[in-house]
Amino acid sequence: MSEKLPLTIISGFLGSGKTSLLNHLLSHASDDGQHRTIAALVNDFGALNIDAELIAAQNGSQIQLTNGCVCCSIGDDLMQALLGIMRAENRPDHIIIEASGVAEPSRIAAYASVDPELRLDGIITLVDATAHHLHGDDPHLADNYHRQIQAAHMLVISKPDLSDADNLAALQAELAAARPNVPILQAVHGALPSDVLLGIKGDAPSADLTQIEDAHGLESRALHVHGTVARDTVSATLNSLRPHLIRAKAVLQDERSAYVLHYAGGRIGIEPFDGDPSGHLVIIGKPGLPDAAKLHALLSNGGA
Amino acid sequence: MGVIYQAKSIRTMDPHQPHATHIAIRDGHILAVGTKDDIADWQKAWGPLEENTDFAARTLMPGFIEGHAHMMEGLLWDYHYVGYYDREGPDGTVWPGLKSIDAVIDRLSEIEKSRDDKSAPIIGWGFDPIYFDGRRMSAADLDKVSTDCPVAVLHASLHILNANNFIMDAADVKNADNSEFIRRDESGKPTGEFLGQLGMYMAMRTTNLDLLAAASAPQTLITFANVARQTGVTTCTDLVNPMPEGSEVPMRETVEKDSFPMRLVVAYQGNSREPAEGVARMQALQKEQTGKLRFSLAKFVADGSIQGFSARLKWPHYFNGAPNGLWYIEPERLGEYLTVFTQAGIQCHIHTNGDECTEVALDKIEAALRAHPWPDHRHTLQHCQMATRSDFKRMKTLGVGVNLFSNHLYYWGDAHRAITMGPERAARLDDAGGCLAEGVPLAIHSDAPVTALAPLFTAWCAVNRLSSEGVTLGNETQKISVEEALYAITMGAAYSLKMESEIGSLEVGKRADMAILAEDPIEVDAMALKDISVIGTMVDGHVHLNHGRD
Repeated sequence: MSEKLPLTIISGFLGSGKTSLLNHLLSHASDDGQHRTIAALVNDFGALNIDAELIAAQNGSQIQLTNGCVCCSIGDDLMQALLGIMRAENRPDHIIIEASGVAEPSRIAAYASVDPELRLDGIITLVDATAHHLHGDDPHLADNYHRQIQAAHMLVISKPDLSDADNLAALQAELAAARPNVPILQAVHGALPSDVLLGIKGDAPSADLTQIEDAHGLESRALHVHGTVARDTVSATLNSLRPHLIRAKAVLQDERSAYVLHYAGGRIGIEPFDGDPSGHLVIIGKPGLPDAAKLHALLSNGGA
Repeated sequence: MGVIYQAKSIRTMDPHQPHATHIAIRDGHILAVGTKDDIADWQKAWGPLEENTDFAARTLMPGFIEGHAHMMEGLLWDYHYVGYYDREGPDGTVWPGLKSIDAVIDRLSEIEKSRDDKSAPIIGWGFDPIYFDGRRMSAADLDKVSTDCPVAVLHASLHILNANNFIMDAADVKNADNSEFIRRDESGKPTGEFLGQLGMYMAMRTTNLDLLAAASAPQTLITFANVARQTGVTTCTDLVNPMPEGSEVPMRETVEKDSFPMRLVVAYQGNSREPAEGVARMQALQKEQTGKLRFSLAKFVADGSIQGFSARLKWPHYFNGAPNGLWYIEPERLGEYLTVFTQAGIQCHIHTNGDECTEVALDKIEAALRAHPWPDHRHTLQHCQMATRSDFKRMKTLGVGVNLFSNHLYYWGDAHRAITMGPERAARLDDAGGCLAEGVPLAIHSDAPVTALAPLFTAWCAVNRLSSEGVTLGNETQKISVEEALYAITMGAAYSLKMESEIGSLEVGKRADMAILAEDPIEVDAMALKDISVIGTMVDGHVHLNHGRD
């Protein structure tokens, strides 16, 4: 076993665009150079509305897609649905759980804590730009709504195209104040790159980074690091890049052993890596990331 | 040929003839009920009836109806009961309550020592640390049972699991992320206690066994029915079942056997499919119904539990300051389901523990009824533990019934006073008296396996309102009489299931379902109601005797 299986939770209220985001991820799973098979555990197939051309087979609680992805119906028994994926002979590259609208995403994320073969990649909470006040002020739902925002490792504002600029700016500011270390992105119809939402697959950025940059106004850096780097040094370097940093992945070695590092929404996860480390460090962030030379300097100076 | 049973006393629950001494059964139904003389004349037209005096010293009642239990009760008896209170198993064995964590360890250790397969998991259930003065069970405790196999203890709530270090090591828990669902000690080390379904997931992943696989197996149903029979229950619900395609076939084969001692009402888990698909599934299931197996209602679980702090409470929420609980179905979705099911004419039972959830459920029912008026929908709120008089008034207006979780008064009454809701709201917990005063149809339940299935005990709780520490919750206005409580566990529950024309009372033409009791519940002291020995039951006229009773 080289790497643990990453788990992403997509949370957000009814109508906040969870299925659009999921649909986008599933239908673009093989667009980029490095194919990523996703197992998506969803509440409702029908709502997902997958392009008929993409459906390879459907049986009761599962839809197989032609790109190797699979959708499984949760049917109000998430535990059994997740067990089904983990016990299957062929495991996917990534598991996504679509939380129900009022779910406590941290409760779902906790499954990764007790499964030695799972790694929580992160909780993505969708915030509907057109319904923020509706949900945030609802007497029965407000506490739940804010808990979802508090639990997020990445916030995605949906329907920015249906909101006016002032409202959007106010929402962005409110979310940034509530979660200062969490990346806040915007997406129309869930259109965000897989590498941003699910992490960087493989050693190098899988998509054409310039495309991400152009389409979403993001920046990326890909470095090759020679020799050994202490784990603390990489962590300190990445932490110094906040709040611009969205995603990072590194496969490096320190004096003892090889390791793989994931950065998502302010969380750094480091695990042992079996095999030869490639020495790659890939970063995706908002405009303002330092250039490659500066990053190399940070890494050789202990991150400071 | 039919049979005339003579009894010391027959409590019919039929107001026009509440008491009788003889009852005649023919073709599984009640042919006649009254005195010996009343029945004699029936033989002119219907032929001779065999006289049976087996129960001449017993009291007969309509078979008890448990309107809220789960088939899981039948599964758990495959494992080892380690609860605080005595509990009777399906074979009549009474497992004494275990009054300390050490006693739990001792019982599990005995099982470990006496078995051959030392690698199989050992699983206990029914545990509740609330009675141990704050001491929690740890992985080290369970390591005393074994360090060489998985050892797990499932709590009474079914929402917490304790694991030994064998399981924790296999799951690599010591390296786990911080999670509020993994209990840790002061040093940050996981204690072995896991909240929600985490523990069960972990136990199943590390043992690679499906510990819940037998949940719908025929033997599980039989065990469930045997537990019910021991307590005088002749109709029982499995109050939330997703009913996968085809699962009704083996279920029907098991239930239809004359030796199967129970009528089963399965509540379809409303949100296990999309609304329209759910309606179609229920319509298909209803075509498969028989006299003993019904698929007559849908169940929705709208919030969590009060003692688990996952119920939705109105301001000021929890007494101990815990954050408000969780919606298990978003209110908007619940409204959508209720509207579609109401339109299709499917009765809905909704689990609402907290008062905020009760209010929202009533809002959604009201909206569904505005869209699709249905005079006798009989939608029912289940648990509904914190309902106020004004909630009951609203239920009356809307035609909503209630099935209260009266066993909570005893098992968690003290915890509700001291921890969850405080003394004022605990005083009106499961307010059966208020419910009847406002004219709302009432049933009361155990939620087995969460608490023991035993309607006479549930009736005792509603009548006496005593907590396990002996505190009376509320006053006379919340209590109900013995007669009202007996009605609630027979006709009241039958009405909640829309089966009151078939069962729930001993009247001519109804099904011959009876509880056979050693004493007359109307004659004994109200405090002795729970101690009445149940000799057996009759279902469709078939007698099912309990083990070791006299």
